[in-house]
Amino acid sequence: MICAGIDAGSRAIKVVLFDHARSMVIGRGLADQGVAQPRLAEEIFAATLSKAGIDRHQVRSVVATGYGRNRVAFATTTITEITCHARGVFHLAPDTRSIVEIGGQDSKVIRLENGGRVRDFAMNDRCAAGTGRFLEILAARLDADWSKLGDLSQQSRQPALISSTCVVFAETEIIGLLAEGVPAADIAAGVQNSIATRVMAMAGRPLTAPVLFTGGVALQPGMVRALATTLDCPVQVAPEPQFTGALGAALLAARIAATASTSSP
Amino acid sequence: MTHSPLQLTLTEWDQRYAELARAGLREPWYGGPLARHVERENNERLRRLRFDSSAAALRLWNFLLTENERLRTARAQGDRLVGTMKDLGTVPVMACALPKVRPFYPDGAWWTPCLMECSDRLLVQADALGTDPSFCPVRAMLPAFLNDEHFPRPDLLICSTGAVCDDFSAIAQRLERLGHPILWWEMPRRRAPDPGEPACDLPGGLIGPAGQVECVREELQRVGVELGKLAGCDLTHERIRAGIRSANQIRRQLQTLRQTVYAAPGAPLPALEMLIAEMLAVHFCSDRGECLPVLAELATEATRRVATRQFVIPDDAVRVFWVNPVADLRAMNLLEACGGRLCGSDFMFTHALDLIPEDLPPFEALARTALADPMVGPAQDRARRIVDDCRRFKIEAVVIARIPGASHCPWEGNPIRERIADKLALPIVEIEIPPVCDALLPTLRTRIEAVLEIARARREP
Repeated sequence: MICAGIDAGSRAIKVVLFDHARSMVIGRGLADQGVAQPRLAEEIFAATLSKAGIDRHQVRSVVATGYGRNRVAFATTTITEITCHARGVFHLAPDTRSIVEIGGQDSKVIRLENGGRVRDFAMNDRCAAGTGRFLEILAARLDADWSKLGDLSQQSRQPALISSTCVVFAETEIIGLLAEGVPAADIAAGVQNSIATRVMAMAGRPLTAPVLFTGGVALQPGMVRALATTLDCPVQVAPEPQFTGALGAALLAARIAATASTSSP
Repeated sequence: MTHSPLQLTLTEWDQRYAELARAGLREPWYGGPLARHVERENNERLRRLRFDSSAAALRLWNFLLTENERLRTARAQGDRLVGTMKDLGTVPVMACALPKVRPFYPDGAWWTPCLMECSDRLLVQADALGTDPSFCPVRAMLPAFLNDEHFPRPDLLICSTGAVCDDFSAIAQRLERLGHPILWWEMPRRRAPDPGEPACDLPGGLIGPAGQVECVREELQRVGVELGKLAGCDLTHERIRAGIRSANQIRRQLQTLRQTVYAAPGAPLPALEMLIAEMLAVHFCSDRGECLPVLAELATEATRRVATRQFVIPDDAVRVFWVNPVADLRAMNLLEACGGRLCGSDFMFTHALDLIPEDLPPFEALARTALADPMVGPAQDRARRIVDDCRRFKIEAVVIARIPGASHCPWEGNPIRERIADKLALPIVEIEIPPVCDALLPTLRTRIEAVLEIARARREP
């Protein structure tokens, strides 16, 4: 039984195809998000199926998650990214007790119970502080490629102190720091620390280890160190962290399909 | 006429109204199709809400949305209008006890930007008057007083101060500076009695120091004298006793309604209508006499639906307790769209749902009721009552709504969360809802859906 998870995030759409019988991922796809969200989701889903050599009719169930989940018209159902990340993490690292997920627009702290069920969660409010959006703004301001910011931050000798309360204020601070000649590497490291500080504030109380870091921002070198230092506990990065939500969605799709087949006459 | 309950859009209600009319619907003077409130008062938000399909709900909405018209008519007929601000449910009982005196709730203007989708520009004007978005949306009341486009100017303005919402006090003080004299009355911050200190039972299972009750009683007596001057007759104990009995009739009706709806196996009425119905406890929507039949009809409809197992949302909806009123009414619809149903509420005026003691001297009874206001005591007291209600109504998840700019929200959220987590371990989410939340709907939906998913997962063995 093949099932699919689609994570329609604010920055990218991720697809995971999961073969329930073999309990393995058989396909992944990723595309930049855009204005025509339904079409983009359709296209990346079709491309992922094609690459995996799967016919669409073989897919028993599709769960959409993420910010744009309700615009994935072909999904069997939608489930929030909180539940999907929890399910994906439980599959990857069942002992995990806390998840930090930082995506393009949202960041979340999810606390898990034994068995991987969600105990509670916290999400960033309206401000983009503590999210990948902050890194995008930094990249634009430094005229740098987003994917190179992590490497840049590794060169920092003295991370700059940057506000963690508001991205708009922080951008003004970055302009000021650049004008003062503060190295870009120190600013990049400062922004990473700022994001980590915001996540810690959002968590509200210490996180129970083991802590797993998911979401696209986890790919950036330096972010995991910033988080571990700020949270004062070891933090592991999930394998292919940008796909954790889509993986969880695919696993939940498999469960839905299995339940449907056992309950049908 | 009976039919399967639904949640209808405004357009669908037009059709439903025609059906009801054909079936012989009898309405009070303020009846009519809901759509007229968009056309006449520019309440564009109604186009984006979903309403319960019963004639009882139609009457409720029409009663609510004709309040300003009702006040103007009352003024034209020689009634004296009293703006009773901040106090949620006590002074209106006194005002209603006097002949030809009609209390209303100017603070209710906080929903005008929502209903008019900000086309009223009240919030922009409030900004210009010195109350920026760091204040609660009640600031919309300031320009509403000045432009005469909403409620008529009252003959007397009464406002409680002291242990009440800080930003409301600031907004009311600004109003006074703008030339609207206010009769202030002091509300002490409720505290637990010290050991050996004389104490009194308060409604809602609370206990307060007798000295504080005495202080509030004297303040209310002072207010009573001014109300009597306005009415041209004394606010006698007999009059207040009669007023308390009438108020308690409404409170009993609301208790019945809440018990019927929140304890039912499915949702006989939607969250939005329950919010509006509960709000009637505060100021009777300027017509205490009409308030009772409006609520009674709603309760009858709810009882009928429970008896016939006709519910507005699927039976497996998650049972949710909702804390605080919402600045955007659309948020209540969102709860059901996400798969939840309202089964308990604390809209910040639970003291107005409790019966006013009828076996005490009337000012003493009112003082005790006023002191039981959840806003004037520690948030822990409020949390305790919420936990009790969560148990009573078998709640599965809690939504704490924050009002942008409201000074009480940041400090009350944690004590409520902590007590619920400690005593019940229920999933909880805190969300902030601005007066028009459309742009935030995806993120609000994610938060509400997530907390409901956690609750559903807990149903599984």
